[in-house]
Amino acid sequence: MALPLPPGLVPSEVAFLCEMEHVTIVPRQRLESIELLSGATPSLRPPRREDIPLWLALLLKKQRRANILPPPWLHVDSLRDLIHHETVTDPTGWSLPPPPPVRADGRGNARRLNSDATTVLSPPFLPSCTSSAPAGALPYHWFEFAEMLLAHASDDVPSASDVRSLLRDLQEVRAAKMRTSIAGLESGVDGVMSLLGVGAMELSESRGFVTGVVEGVRKLGASAEASRREEEEERGGADDDEPSDDDMGI
Amino acid sequence: MSYYDVDAILTDGEKVPCTFELDVPYLGHLDNSTTGLKPGTALSLPLWLAEMLALASTGDSKAPLILNMPPCLSEQVIAALRADPRSVTLREQNVHLYGVGVRMLDLFDERELGNTLRKTFVVRAGEVGLHARKADDGSLGGQGEEFLRGLEEWERSLFRRAHEGVKSAKEWTEKVKKS
Repeated sequence: MALPLPPGLVPSEVAFLCEMEHVTIVPRQRLESIELLSGATPSLRPPRREDIPLWLALLLKKQRRANILPPPWLHVDSLRDLIHHETVTDPTGWSLPPPPPVRADGRGNARRLNSDATTVLSPPFLPSCTSSAPAGALPYHWFEFAEMLLAHASDDVPSASDVRSLLRDLQEVRAAKMRTSIAGLESGVDGVMSLLGVGAMELSESRGFVTGVVEGVRKLGASAEASRREEEEERGGADDDEPSDDDMGI
Repeated sequence: MSYYDVDAILTDGEKVPCTFELDVPYLGHLDNSTTGLKPGTALSLPLWLAEMLALASTGDSKAPLILNMPPCLSEQVIAALRADPRSVTLREQNVHLYGVGVRMLDLFDERELGNTLRKTFVVRAGEVGLHARKADDGSLGGQGEEFLRGLEEWERSLFRRAHEGVKSAKEWTEKVKKS
């Protein structure tokens, strides 16, 4: 038998990956640079702000050697905007992930990093949880990041209790959206379900459900699909106009 | 479908109504008669046997029996499902309703039935997901229990999967708060 774990990442694995997100801290003590496999951390000189991995930030926070600056999207106003966007502006789609950061190119122009879309940027190259992250957009690890920050550094988050209840609302709204998104399967599994903007923990939470529904719909439509294929093949034998995969010239 | 899938095996054992076309001696005990089966006898046979006999044909003669739609997929049930998928207690119709449905769709060319079953499954799956999420806080009250009792086997396993995901995420959230 295969590994008795479900497919995909379990929540603790998701949270482990989230701890690699960079976060901005205000150190209270000096700390020399540490050589890590993922690169050296910046040497900390209070009160200079630095970006370090979340796990290190939480460690320093627990030792009272640093304060964490929560990312702009974790503020009350930004969360309210997000909930408004999710419920009123776009009640069916997901709010988009944060846009790539804007950098000046030395000639006085500002343009989006990676605007030609040659490579897909992801953290830590994309500052999604540092203080320079854009407000009003949820990064991939939003849920677990917010949970961990609220659990360990709630005194650093402004109006933490409001943030907490807004996060609950947001989570419920998006979970309901995930449930209604399967209604598109009524006509059969024919397209793609866009999951752009869905967080890692949400994916891990609803993976079993969504794949279960898709599997069920596929089974129920299997015989209709088989007969459709046969029909198509018969038609394809009569006139060979339809371009096949070989004609695409890959 | 896996060889070891218990649900598939149990689905195979579901009985479907058939009508014999041939005279079969020495099998009268199936119908509590002493003479053997006459043509036109209506019998309920398990799906695996009925399917085999219905598809078997010996050269020139026709198949030994004719398969009919099981009562759980009858016109009335399908009409009720078309009207409101949520109000039907599928479990009372048949514990393996979708499984039997898939097998019937393989045998009969019933596109309409397939569409109805799929719509039913998707609509009810949404409800199952809602209940799986709210099962722990009990905020839905008694009406949820009624619905969950009417779930068919496919839906039960879907409920289990959905609940598993929600539960493990919730457990992680609790653990973070404590540590």
